[in-house]
Amino acid sequence: MTGFFNMTALFNISLAAYFCAMVCAVICLMTRRNLFDGVANGLIVAGVTIQTLYLGIRWVEAGRAPFSNMFESLVLFAWTVAVVYLLLRIRTKLPWLAAAAAALSALALAHASTFESAIRPLMPALQSNWLSFHVMTCFLGYGAFAISAVASAGYLIATRQASVAQVETRQTLETIVTQTISFGFLFLTLGILTGAVWANSAWGTYWSWDPKETWSLITWFIYAAFLHFNFMRGWRGRRAAWISIIGFISVLFTYYGVNFLLSGLHSYAKG
Amino acid sequence: MSDSVEAKEPVAKPAWGNPVTRVLGSLAFALTVVLLLALACIAGTLIPQGSQVEVYLARPGGHQVLGVLSALGLTRVFYSWWFVGLLFALAASLMVCTGRRYQAIKRATGAARFRVIGSFITHVSLLLVLAGGVVRVIWGQKGAIQFREGEAVSSAESSDGPMVLPFSLRLTKFELEYHKKTTGAKEAPVDMILVQWAEKNLIAHFPVELNVEHPVVPADAPAGASPAFRVKVLRYVADFALDGATGDVKSRSDVPNNPAVQVCVVGSGSTNTQWVFARFPDFGSSDSSIAAMPLKFRFMAVPPEEMGMRGGDIKAFKSTVEVIEKGAVVSTRTIAVNSPFSWGGYTFYQTSYNPDDLAWSALQVVRDPGIPIVYAGFVLMMTGLTLVFCVGPWLGDQRRRTGELS
Repeated sequence: MTGFFNMTALFNISLAAYFCAMVCAVICLMTRRNLFDGVANGLIVAGVTIQTLYLGIRWVEAGRAPFSNMFESLVLFAWTVAVVYLLLRIRTKLPWLAAAAAALSALALAHASTFESAIRPLMPALQSNWLSFHVMTCFLGYGAFAISAVASAGYLIATRQASVAQVETRQTLETIVTQTISFGFLFLTLGILTGAVWANSAWGTYWSWDPKETWSLITWFIYAAFLHFNFMRGWRGRRAAWISIIGFISVLFTYYGVNFLLSGLHSYAKG
Repeated sequence: MSDSVEAKEPVAKPAWGNPVTRVLGSLAFALTVVLLLALACIAGTLIPQGSQVEVYLARPGGHQVLGVLSALGLTRVFYSWWFVGLLFALAASLMVCTGRRYQAIKRATGAARFRVIGSFITHVSLLLVLAGGVVRVIWGQKGAIQFREGEAVSSAESSDGPMVLPFSLRLTKFELEYHKKTTGAKEAPVDMILVQWAEKNLIAHFPVELNVEHPVVPADAPAGASPAFRVKVLRYVADFALDGATGDVKSRSDVPNNPAVQVCVVGSGSTNTQWVFARFPDFGSSDSSIAAMPLKFRFMAVPPEEMGMRGGDIKAFKSTVEVIEKGAVVSTRTIAVNSPFSWGGYTFYQTSYNPDDLAWSALQVVRDPGIPIVYAGFVLMMTGLTLVFCVGPWLGDQRRRTGELS
C-alpha cells in the first residue's frame, strides 16, 4: 500500500495543512473576516482526513496499531488534538482556539519528524489487542486536556479585558474547559483501566507503581479534584483555569517527562 | 474578576452523622487526602524505590540523606505505613461520600438524578478497587518459578518462603521466536554454522570461513568463563562425495547439491574433526566419538533478511507446560507473554528466558482472589462515569430542547 501512497508526503501534507490552518486562523483574528475562519477549519478537516489515511495505511503495513513508540504516539497526539477541536467546533466558534489547536497539532507532527519513523516489530509485551484500545483512549484524553489547557490559558488572558465580547468569550471558555475535562477524564480513566487489565494479562499485576502508571494516577487525581470543585463548589473562573493548566502540565510529564526522565515498564516509549 | 460560585450539583449535607463522619465526608478532607497521595506519588517516582543501599549512598549527602529517606519511609513509599494509612483515609472518605450520595439519589429529579446515580456508582467502584487490593494483599500469593525443559516443580519461590502448589507443573518445551525482517530486497543466503550445547541450546553461530577460529563457551559455564573450545571450519565442499578408490572426500560439482563442511573442535584435551551436512543434519550422529561430544553443529544457509532469527528482535517466548495431578498429566498448555494460563486458582505468566540457555524458562505464578472484585470495580467505574458525563448531560439537553419547543 505504501507503493501507492507516499507516506512521507502524507505526513508532510498533514503537517502543512495544520500549519496553514494556524496561519489562516491568526489572519482571521487580525482581520475579523469569517472567510479565513472557514478556510482554517477546512484545512484542519483536511489535516485530520490525511492523517487518518496515514494512520490507517501504517496500521495495515505494520499489521498492528501504530501507537507503539514516540514517533507514532506524537502523530496520534496531533490527530486527537485536532479531532477534539473539531468536535468542539460543531457547537462553538472560536478562531483563536482553531489557531491554538492547529499549532499544537503542527508542533506535535514537527516534533514527531525528529524521531525514527521506520516501522519496527513489537516486543512481546506490546503484542496485544489492548495496545490500540489503551493508547487510543489515553490519547483522546490527552487531546481533550490539551484543548482544555489552551482554553484555560485563553480564559486567563480574556479575564484581563472587560468588554462585553470578552465576557461572552469567558463564558464560552468556561464551558469548553468543563466539557473537555469531562471528556478527557472519561477517556483517561478508560485508558488507565484498560492499561491495568492489559498489565494483569501480561505480567500478572494490574498495578505495579510503575512511573507512568503513577503519573497517570497523579493526573487523574488533579482532574478529579477539578471536577469535584467544579460540580460541588461551582468553581469556574481563574481558579479552575489554573487547575486545568496544572493538570495539563501533569499530562505532559506523564506522556513525555516519564519517557525520558524515569525508567519503568513504559521505557520502550522513548524510542 | 470574581469566580462564579454557583453550585451545579450540590450534594445535600447529611442529616445523620457525627463530627467524625462530617469531617470524613467533607470535600476539604477528601481533597487533602488526594493532595497528600499525589505528593507521595511524586516522591515515589522521583526517589529511587527499593534500590540497593549503594544507589542512595552514591548521591550527594549519602548516609545522611539515606537516613532521612529511610526514617520517612521514602525509599519504599508505596508500601510505607503512612501511604497505606492515606489509602485507608481515602477509603473512609469515599464510604461517607458514597452514603451521602445514596441519600442524594432520593432527592434528585430529572436528568440530575442520572448524574447523582453515576456519581454514587463511581464512588462505589473506587471502594471496590481498593477492597480488591486489600484482598490481594491479605489472601493473594505471588511467586517465581525457574525451570528447565523436562523439569517439574510443585512450588514457587516467594518473598514469604516457598509457595506450595496443589499440583506439579512440568516444562516440556521452551521456544524463542524472532521477527523476520520484512523490509529490503532479498539477498543470497549466507552459509552459517550454528553451535549447540547438548542438542538444544544455541551457544554460538558464525559464517562459514575456512580456518578462522571461533572461541566457544559451554552453556553451563559461569558468566565470564574463558572459552573451553575452539572451533574452525577446515573445508567446504558444495557437492559432497567419497572417492570410491581412495576414500577421500571430493566435490562432484560446484553446484551445492549436497553441501558439507568439515569442522575441527579443539578442547577438553582432545581434537575432533567431523563432517556436517546441510541436508542431512543427523548424519554421523551415531558415531560414538561424535555422540560423546557436548557440542553439536548445524550447517545451514540463512537468508540475510532472516539473520535476525538469531540475535534480532524477539517476537515471542513461550513455555509449553504440563499440569500433573496425582502422577497423571491433566492438562497441557502453552504460556506466552499476554497469554497466561490459569489452573486451580493459580495463574502462570511467562516472564523471562535465558538467551544462552534455551531450555530454561521463568514464570510468575499469581493467586489473586481480589481480581473479580477489582474488575467489577472497573466496570462500575466506567458505568458511573458514563452516567455522569454522557447520559446525564444528554438527557439534560433533551429536556431543555423539549422545554424550549413547548
